[in-house]
Amino acid sequence: MIVIDPRKIDMVKSAHRHLQINIGTDIALINALIRIILKEGLYNPDFIFKYTNDVEVLREKVELYTPEYASAITGISPEDIIDTAREYAGAGSAMIAYTLGITEHHCGVNNVFDIGNLALLTGNIGKKGSGIMPLRGQNNVQGAGDMGCLPNQLPGAMSIVKEENRLRYEKEWKVTINKEVGDTQTRTFDRLEAGELKAMYVIGENPLMADVHMNHTKKLLEKLDLLIVQDIFLTETAELADVVLPACSWGEVDGTYTNTDRRIQRVRKAVEPHPNTKEDWKILCELSTKMGYQLDYHNSEEIWDEIRRLAWEMYGGISYTRLDQEYSLHYPCPDESHPGTLIMHERFYQEGMEASKSPFIPVDYTPPLELPDKEYPFMLTTGRRYESYNTHSQTKYYANGVKLKQTEETVDIHPQDAAMLKIENAETVLVESRRGEVKVKAKITEQVVPGLVFMSFHWSEVPTNVLTLNEFDPVSGTAEFKACAVKIRKLDE
Amino acid sequence: MGEPKFIKTVCGYCGTGCGLIAEVQDNRIKKIRGDKDAPVNKGQTCVKGAFAYEYVHAEKRLKSPMLRKSGQLTEVTWEEAYDFIAKGLAKIKSEWGGKAISMFACARTTNESNYITQKFMRTVLDSNNIDGCNRT
Repeated sequence: MIVIDPRKIDMVKSAHRHLQINIGTDIALINALIRIILKEGLYNPDFIFKYTNDVEVLREKVELYTPEYASAITGISPEDIIDTAREYAGAGSAMIAYTLGITEHHCGVNNVFDIGNLALLTGNIGKKGSGIMPLRGQNNVQGAGDMGCLPNQLPGAMSIVKEENRLRYEKEWKVTINKEVGDTQTRTFDRLEAGELKAMYVIGENPLMADVHMNHTKKLLEKLDLLIVQDIFLTETAELADVVLPACSWGEVDGTYTNTDRRIQRVRKAVEPHPNTKEDWKILCELSTKMGYQLDYHNSEEIWDEIRRLAWEMYGGISYTRLDQEYSLHYPCPDESHPGTLIMHERFYQEGMEASKSPFIPVDYTPPLELPDKEYPFMLTTGRRYESYNTHSQTKYYANGVKLKQTEETVDIHPQDAAMLKIENAETVLVESRRGEVKVKAKITEQVVPGLVFMSFHWSEVPTNVLTLNEFDPVSGTAEFKACAVKIRKLDE
Repeated sequence: MGEPKFIKTVCGYCGTGCGLIAEVQDNRIKKIRGDKDAPVNKGQTCVKGAFAYEYVHAEKRLKSPMLRKSGQLTEVTWEEAYDFIAKGLAKIKSEWGGKAISMFACARTTNESNYITQKFMRTVLDSNNIDGCNRT
């Protein structure tokens, strides 16, 4: 296991190599890996010939990225880059797992393209132990998108711009579905700023705390004519709402979740909820009926069966009865006799199966948009800590007797930098960016390298996202949470 | 004290999808352990999945709809909250169209609730402005 991370995270202990990469330089590294694999003939020629296009364009693009050139950008030694390329390509089967360190950059989509290039080049896709695994942070973020909670997709991950897809749902729902792709959350905030958005309905999310450039987010939310928040706690976002609706939580509801590898599993009611709270679907059904569109279901299974009927290619065979018997099933699973699909894209390695060709999409390295300078000399990267979860509304409540390592926010700083600033461990300091400032205790640690500091956004007392930069990947709309410039000052100066 | 019940379920935190067994007594979760039969985790858990469940029973849980009156969030009945929302959304939809309304769907709730969330947006409000936290 090779861990590529700017910090010496706990997982490094289990890894055989840690590439402590400079923030936001993933493409320089991956392009160098690709170049080595091409130069040394470590690619899978049969796979490239049968299933890919444009390998020559890729070859041309990566020519610049010699191990030495990439080393100067990434901070990783040329030897480690060469060894990593040989090991990945020579492993027989190798998987790349990634999460927000890849996507939360202005070049997040390009980062993902380059991971795709690497996997295609070596044929590491469609067989056991290979592939690309985007690890997902929420229990059902995969399912929410698959269910059609995306501006461009109907349930079953069907494109909304295709008429035949709309027709399928129009027939069942007896309405005409708007064929225009809707707004992402990122675009919603842009249109709110432009005065074009009037109402927002937020379910179980705390965007005020979770999104970049918090002072700006707050001003925007205050512009709304109507803010509806449906949640289990009065979150910071709910405190700004016009109406707040109390929902049932995990442990109080029945249904299914889809995990990070397309596995559908049953979540079951363990306790009876407070009688004045309701399940999310129940609230929306009652509101819908009130507004003149009858929605009425007895239980979650009845809703699931409607989904199975409409998006049968994905879920037709995944009944509650089977889930009770088999524990979990991977979609696609079109009918009751189908075993589910444990490995995707297996057609690449099956005799006589047709598979379309995928193009390589060569990309260039582009540095983070706000680099440290004289005035703001540190790079701040943000993320999560092990014991806390996102905006901390739930992980405030641990069972009695659990000894927690981190109970408040810190700015994690390298001993050399702390010595230079004459900062002691646990001393409260001021962290400032061009957008805002927070007071926070310093934690002196070698997890970070000199020049890099780390913070999470779990504690509302230290709203780290007042510091972060509101620059976004132009395709995905994901913000550059992972990189912005800050300065750190002692409070008594 | 009632008899303890053991409920097989799936963790509500991250996307790994660990199988858990919740021990419940007198309508409270007393303990959670990893489910050895679970294909994902085979009995293992992280610290959040095993121990960070007390929020379900927290005093601070929302237990009533609230409406802003004279600047203050004030407890109201479901009927009053629904009336206010229905009128508010209908007015905005008729004046500005469904494009002026956005839904932030929930990546923590069930597939079933998410299906209904988008169905509500697309049928009642004629809007595809629906997205989750998948970009943050």
